[in-house]
Amino acid sequence: MGEIVPPLIEVSGLTKSFPGVLALRGVSLHLKRGEVLALIGENGAGKSTLMKILAGIQSADAGDFIIDGEQVSFRNVNDAMLKGIALIHQELNLCGNLDLASNVFLGREPTKGGFVNESLMRHQAQQFLSQVGLDMPVNTLAGSLPIGKQQLVEIAKALSCNARVLIMDEPTSSLSQKETDTLFKVVKNLRAHGISIIYISHRLGEVIELADRVTVFRDGENAGDLGRDEINHENMVRLMVGRDLSEFYDRKIHQPGKKVLSLTKFRCPSFPDHPISLSVRAGEIVGIAGLVGAGRTELLQTIFGVTPAIGGVMEIDGKKKEISDPRTAISSGIALVPEDRKQHGLVLPMSVRENSSLPSLKRDSSRGWINESAEEQVTEEAVSALKIKTPNFEQVTRFLSGGNQQKIVLGKWLAMSPKLLMLDEPTRGIDIGAKREIYKLMEKLAGEGMAILFVSSEMEEVLGMADRAYVMHEGKISGELGHNQLSEKAIMNLATGILAAA
Amino acid sequence: MKKNILGIFILLVAIFVITAIINPKFLNAYNMQNLIKWSSLYAVMSLGVAFVIITGGIDLSIGSVVGLVAVVLSICLKLEGMDPWSAIGIALILSLLIGLLHGILITKAKVQPFVVTLCGLLVYRSMGRWFTDNQSIGPMPMEEDAGYKNLEQIQHLDFVFSGKIAIGSFNLPTPAIFLLVLSIAAAIFLRRTIWGRYLFALGSNEDGTRYSGINTDRMKILAYVLCSFFAGMAGILFAFELDSVQPAQTGEFYELYAIAAAVLGGCSLRGGEGSVLGVVIAAAVIRLIYNSINMVGISTHLEFGILGLVILLGVIGDELIKKTVNRKQAVQTS
Amino acid sequence: MKIIYALGGAFLSLGLFFFAGCEGGGSSSKSDAPTFAYVTNGIDPFWDLCAAGVRIAEKEFGVNCEVLMPPKGVVDQKRMMEAMIAKGIDGVAVSPIDADNQTPFLNEVGRNTILITQDADAPKSDRLVYIGTNNYKAGRALGKLVKSAIPEGGEVMIFVGRLEQLNARQRRQGVIDELLGRSMQDLDKVKFDSVDSVNLTSEGSKYVIVDTRTDNFDKAKAKSNAEDSMTKYKNLKCMVGLFAYNPPACIDAIKEANKLGAIKVCGFDEQDALLQAIVEGHAHGTISQQPWEYGYESIKMLKSIYEGKQPENKYFELPFLVVDQSNVESFWAKKKEMAELGKQD
Repeated sequence: MGEIVPPLIEVSGLTKSFPGVLALRGVSLHLKRGEVLALIGENGAGKSTLMKILAGIQSADAGDFIIDGEQVSFRNVNDAMLKGIALIHQELNLCGNLDLASNVFLGREPTKGGFVNESLMRHQAQQFLSQVGLDMPVNTLAGSLPIGKQQLVEIAKALSCNARVLIMDEPTSSLSQKETDTLFKVVKNLRAHGISIIYISHRLGEVIELADRVTVFRDGENAGDLGRDEINHENMVRLMVGRDLSEFYDRKIHQPGKKVLSLTKFRCPSFPDHPISLSVRAGEIVGIAGLVGAGRTELLQTIFGVTPAIGGVMEIDGKKKEISDPRTAISSGIALVPEDRKQHGLVLPMSVRENSSLPSLKRDSSRGWINESAEEQVTEEAVSALKIKTPNFEQVTRFLSGGNQQKIVLGKWLAMSPKLLMLDEPTRGIDIGAKREIYKLMEKLAGEGMAILFVSSEMEEVLGMADRAYVMHEGKISGELGHNQLSEKAIMNLATGILAAA
Repeated sequence: MKKNILGIFILLVAIFVITAIINPKFLNAYNMQNLIKWSSLYAVMSLGVAFVIITGGIDLSIGSVVGLVAVVLSICLKLEGMDPWSAIGIALILSLLIGLLHGILITKAKVQPFVVTLCGLLVYRSMGRWFTDNQSIGPMPMEEDAGYKNLEQIQHLDFVFSGKIAIGSFNLPTPAIFLLVLSIAAAIFLRRTIWGRYLFALGSNEDGTRYSGINTDRMKILAYVLCSFFAGMAGILFAFELDSVQPAQTGEFYELYAIAAAVLGGCSLRGGEGSVLGVVIAAAVIRLIYNSINMVGISTHLEFGILGLVILLGVIGDELIKKTVNRKQAVQTS
Repeated sequence: MKIIYALGGAFLSLGLFFFAGCEGGGSSSKSDAPTFAYVTNGIDPFWDLCAAGVRIAEKEFGVNCEVLMPPKGVVDQKRMMEAMIAKGIDGVAVSPIDADNQTPFLNEVGRNTILITQDADAPKSDRLVYIGTNNYKAGRALGKLVKSAIPEGGEVMIFVGRLEQLNARQRRQGVIDELLGRSMQDLDKVKFDSVDSVNLTSEGSKYVIVDTRTDNFDKAKAKSNAEDSMTKYKNLKCMVGLFAYNPPACIDAIKEANKLGAIKVCGFDEQDALLQAIVEGHAHGTISQQPWEYGYESIKMLKSIYEGKQPENKYFELPFLVVDQSNVESFWAKKKEMAELGKQD
């Protein structure tokens, strides 16, 4: 161990800005041969941007990027591949209608006399597939494999390009526990063969199990590095958040009032076989935890009437409601801050003013005429309540940062004073400062008696913000956790289906 | 929005000046009157399609609606001898119903606007030909027609829709007044009412608008109804202007002029953008090009070529302006 | 900066067009010579031949001429003539598309400049003279051609672009009257059979006019009309094409059905394909209006009216020419020569 091996990748002073956002401010990172480096940080901390630069998808504005002691600058993905760097995307990119061999060699098929050399291709594909523990016929169609195995095919594909560095962006986000275990075995095996891995994850448990070293980003800057024996939960969270948890999530538990929302045997069209029952009281902040694809977003959308319920009873303030579209939901006092704010939350080409007033425009109008002073006032209130940073109200929202965009989505609902506010991944992809504003607002609104129901994939957020949490697994509620039962372990167990409700 | 109009306005002025220099007769009152008249006729139609394009949709049936409305109006006035104002009413109600049908098929039956209105284009054209046995017809009755008893009233209508009002030595064509009223109404509707705002929002992001509690289906239907209504208005104006409706040809191709004017006037086919003034100016540019070609004496075979080129360049210029504006805005926020 | 370049480029190319056009048309810049407009009813090779005659006359009489072909019917015809008036044109020769309903506008033109009609008339308007073939007589001559093509009689079908046009109706009626052995009618008082009438025949006539199909100037439709007629009428003996493109469309359809010779074709006008078919014996004959005469005589007439000579008659009848295998080659040579001459302006 004492010998000094120069790092395989060395990045320093890397800067990258997008319109409206400074994504990376002089970050550095180094990676040794045969090590698993975990890169962690809140959403919007700049991890994905750095990975895209390493993989040649984007280029940096400034900074040094050295591989094997040689300064490089990638123009495209091929440049990166030539240097042995491959990115395994969060979304898989296999062609479902092609077989495994064709997928592994897509675009680089071995040829003989202008034709694809099928037998050579199959033979080589078999070798790479077995290297990642996939022993199945190479003529299996990729689309017929479960998601976990598809991911292994992606890795085999990367290996077939002589990859020395694999970048894995949240590889376990849609895997089952068993698939995750398989993946870990493969990763450890690759490490033993001298391949380096940059592992991006939100799941701190996985990081503890897998990583040799941890680099933490916060707000586009390096927040610190942790050596093998410093890797633990508290250290990682402290570096990610920049302060102790209790300070960040400044929660007071309010005395909950009467039931605002109550679902009984409520059935969503996406999971018709799993009736859902839950309730949210006034002044209560209730979290819904679970893995991606567990049906949380679908549940909120059904409550909001985007995809109307196909059975069961929904009561608002104790009165039965049939909600067939967002309009009736809103008039019943429900608001939704959707997960996909660009597609569902905002009308991006429109201004801050036009977005803020969109739901309240009709209420404030008389005979269809827009009430401009009311519109101005609604915008003013949203901007000041959430400290939205915008040069003026006429600013087109497309050019605002994610955090400010999200604040506008929240702000537009404030004008409607909903009884029930639902938030789907309220802090995804936004900076720490905006996060705090949103948490503070949630706390304030709950204090004023609003019922709040939120979905989050960030463990810290559920632990920090929720008075109570439901955990979903494969379309059903696998358990409910009271405030003193909330723990990462309890949530993970319920979310992965290991334990039935406690 | 203002910046978008600037480019097209410069284009208008430039063609105007160049033509006037080459042939000073271009500027005489008679030619200006004609130019205003034709621009108004086509602009009314283009305004209609702008509503639909703002919502991100398309209406290919406009030309056929113009033709059918002109045919039905002529039949009612000339052959049926119907009360002239009722005939106008029937023509307009027909156009509203066509729009309603389009809207319902698009929102409720979920057929793509392109398909719905393409079929409309074929069906209404064919209906017009069938109603008339493909014979030319005009709104003005002759002695042997049933409508001859209403001749005086129909002549009044003819004046209302295609007359000229003397202002000093200048004779203002009445279609210009229709355009003025309709475009002011359209501009107020789009900029001052909640429905106008909803149309823009819906065109930019339909899901996002629906998530804000807006009945997007109803707004889409409204856009198609308005579009057909404006096409119907244009049909009436054209019928009186030409005095001759050819069931197979009147209005043929007009949807493309209308769409071209809307696009040249700053509407994006992706939806969410557009301005009344821009569309009116663009419609005028298109008519001006036609007029200039004749005034300068370029071969008429080059008409479409020049028109296509100007539209293309106009749209490219517009896109460049937009990019610059966007860049400035982006820089402002960072 | 880029915007300025782009806009600059747009205007520059636009300006170039204008100047290019100026050079070519050269109408407004020349000296005192009068300028006349020759306005067609659409775009067709027939009108190109007429234009050739216009060009010949232009040179011969020392005048300037603009040939305008409205692509889309009445609207384009109207706006083109309006622009001519605005330019201060000295005379217009027009083939009106919808004569009756266009009358008020034609009168407006007549108030502003010398107006004559050619090819098709607008009898109710104030045009000074109409230059045209007697289409009824020409139709009868075409009927005679059909008779000589199928002397034993049989089923005849008529193909035409549009029947809204008076000349089309007159031609058709001439053919019908001749085949059914009816008596000669006066051109201005022709009684028409309904456009929908099928299986027209009369006692003592060996001929049946089974139908008349229109295609609205759509050449593809013209061909498919001919194809459909062969499917529908198994005993069809002769196809009659009344507009220039109809006979070639018929010949095409017959050729593809392998019925050359079995079904005769008689036509109007003089497209090359038709003349070639006459040479080869696949078509029987055609009636030519000698289109260059239209252009030539129109300009000649305008010039003489411009110089103060009022026409003696409201109707100037152009002679037509019956072309069959006996004279087709000399006629074709003449046509080529005319076309060539016309191009030299």
